[in-house]
Order: sequence, then C-alpha cells, then structure tokens
Amino acid sequence: MTAPRALSLLCELTYRCNLACPYCYNPLDLRRFRDELTTAEWSRVLAEAAAMGVVQVHFSGGEPLLRTDLYELIAAAHGAELYANLITQGTFLDDAAADRLLAAGLDHVQISIQAPDEGLADWIAGARVHARKLDALRRIAGRNVALTLNCVLHHDNHDSVDAVIALAERLGVGRLELANVQFYGWAFRNRSALVPTREQIRRTGAAVDAARGRLRGRMEIVYVASDYFSDFPKPCMNGWGSTFLTVAPNGDVLPCPAASAISGMRFDNVREGSLATIWAESEAFQRYRGTGWMPEPCRSCARREIDWGGCRCQAFLVAGDAGLTDPACSLSPHHARLQALHE
Amino acid sequence: MNASERPRLGRGVRLRREGDGSAMLLVPEGALMLNGTAAATLELLDGHRTVGDIAGALAERFDVDVERAQRETGELLQRLAERRFVELP
Repeated sequence: MTAPRALSLLCELTYRCNLACPYCYNPLDLRRFRDELTTAEWSRVLAEAAAMGVVQVHFSGGEPLLRTDLYELIAAAHGAELYANLITQGTFLDDAAADRLLAAGLDHVQISIQAPDEGLADWIAGARVHARKLDALRRIAGRNVALTLNCVLHHDNHDSVDAVIALAERLGVGRLELANVQFYGWAFRNRSALVPTREQIRRTGAAVDAARGRLRGRMEIVYVASDYFSDFPKPCMNGWGSTFLTVAPNGDVLPCPAASAISGMRFDNVREGSLATIWAESEAFQRYRGTGWMPEPCRSCARREIDWGGCRCQAFLVAGDAGLTDPACSLSPHHARLQALHE
Repeated sequence: MNASERPRLGRGVRLRREGDGSAMLLVPEGALMLNGTAAATLELLDGHRTVGDIAGALAERFDVDVERAQRETGELLQRLAERRFVELP
C-alpha cells in the first residue's frame, strides 16, 4: 500500500537519565542504544523529516538536556519550520538553559513531576530532584513559551491527583497532562507494583471531570486513560506507520517508541538509509500498516479503523505475538491475561 | 466570543500553510487540519483586530451576510479559546 504522510517525529536523543522512575517506558536493554547519533546525523534526520512533510518534532529521551547539542538541534528544527517540542524532567533546566532553548526557537516544553509533594516525588524518582523541578516549572511559566505540566499516574500517586491539579493552578500552567502509566519497558517489568486499583481509576476520572468544568478556558487538562481498565484498546499511534515515527538514540527508526521490545522485528537505521525510504518501504513499517495484517477478532470488527487493532507492542508483551489483537480489547482471547493483573 | 474582543493565537500555537493551500493549526503536542473558513479566520487574528472586524472581512470575502459571519466567527473562536488555542490579550 502507499504510505500515508508522516506528521510527527519523536527524537529520542538519548536514553541516559539521572532519575530512576519505575514507570519509565524506555527499553530494558539500554546497551543496544549506547552508540548515539551525532549532531550532524540528527540534523540530517530533521532536514529529511521536514522534506517528507513532517510538521512537528518532539525531543525526548531519557533526558534530552543531557545532550549538549540540544539547542543546536532545536534551532535546526525551527529553521526547517518544524514545530519544536521538548519533553524533559526539568532537573537541568536552569536560567541559562531556558534562555538558550527559547533563543533556539522552542515552541513548547513539557516538564514532568512524579507527585505533588516532595517526599513522595523524590521517592518515586529515586533522587532528590523535586525542588529543582518546581524551580524549572516556575522559570518556564514566567517566559513566553507554551508549557505543559505532566504527571504519570500509577498506584502510588493516583490518590494525589487533586493536589497535582492544585499545584498546576498555583504555577499558572496552561496545560496539564495526567497520564496513566502505560506498561512498556521498565513499567512493564514493574507492572504489579504500578497498576492502580479500579477505585483509583474511578475517583481520578471524577476529579478530572470536575476540574475540567471548573478550569475551562484557563487550563486544558489532557487525561490519558489506562487501557487496562477499558473495554476497547487505545488506537495506538493512530495506527502503525500512519502518522508517527520515532528515531531511537542509535538511529533505529521505530513505528512506536516501545517497538524495540518486539524481538525478531528488524528496524532500519538512519545511518543506512533515508528517513523517507524507511517510513515508506521498510519491513517494520509495512508489517502492521493499515488493516490487511489483522487477524480475527479485528478483521471483521466494526471498530477496526477506530482502534487499528490497538497496540502491537502490548500484543507482543502480553500475548506473545505482535500480530494479534491487543489484549486490552475485551474481545481478545488473551484479555484475561491482562485483567489478571488488577482483578 | 464578544464582537469587541481582540483575540490572538494562544501561546505555542502556530498556523501553517501547505503548498497546496490547505492549512493546519500546530498546537502543543498535536496538529489540527483546518477547513478554509477556519484558516481564513485564524489568519486574521493579531491581537489588534476585533472579532467584529474579522467577521466583517470574512463576510465580504465569502459573500455571506454580516450577522451570520459574526455568529459563526464568535462560535469558532470561543471553541478554540476553551482549549487555549486562541487567547485574549
């Protein structure tokens, strides 16, 4: 089939990070990614992305501010008319870094916290960093750049959701993302400790609804649901190879940031081919693009172009085969394996 | 949104024109495809023009009556303001 237009590129600049959050979705086998792309290689990736029609680029990791060439790469994205978004945990975001990021043309920054209070936040991060993150949030909130506060929700901080919302209000951020933990990488390994209770999911849902009503027009609240508690799977990546692509620190091009966990799948690398060719023609991108690959119950399902079969990586991790229906779907024969985690 | 308001694009929001004349709104962590009227409306936001000015210009450009343009422009901008894609200075 003809490849659709890619719109969004995630650049995972490095998997290095000074925190140790148990919900991290980065891969377990970090050694595979140690040979990071150079500044020149990343710059080429950005130019190729712009030429193939990508409009938005997300710089993430690991902690992207550990790459000292981050400013140069943001400037390269900006120069190519790409919307530049930075996803950071904020511990290196001092005044000088903020100045340089804005001067480079950054459009938006997302800063994460682990919890609203210092004790719990530092315990989850495995380092004393919460106070520095709050400094970074105040620093960015006072400047002319869009800011999202992000908090990943799991068993140990779900009950703090009202305090997270209150903190976002005090900081004056325009956008708050409350994202239930997604079980990939380290989070999948730690899933039994992280999975929230059904009651936590219910209470948080109600708290988000109430806050959205109260804050309409002042703060946008993005709530990322937990597919472990839904009847239907998430439309992962809006369909494999339909809109999004990820370049891993070593140059591997992935249809989803978690896809490197799918053993047996070969990923082409930007050191050996152009981004456009890999997107359009590589085996990995073509394997699950569209609906032709689908087995039952997806193949005959009325939702096949709504859910796109759900998440390939989750099918691999839970059901053992990336080509099966996402077990988060209540129609999947493997649904009970996923439910066994929280019932 | 009131006819006397002077809206502008929100922080971190950019209007992007494609080579084929289509347009999209780039927002924090997303992109929205715009129809012709929405793109023409957003192109006129600069924090100085009022909603009334903008509706007047659109009424002329698309040959519709001013009242209808006022109503539809106000509604569109209100919806976008609720998601902070449009803001008031």
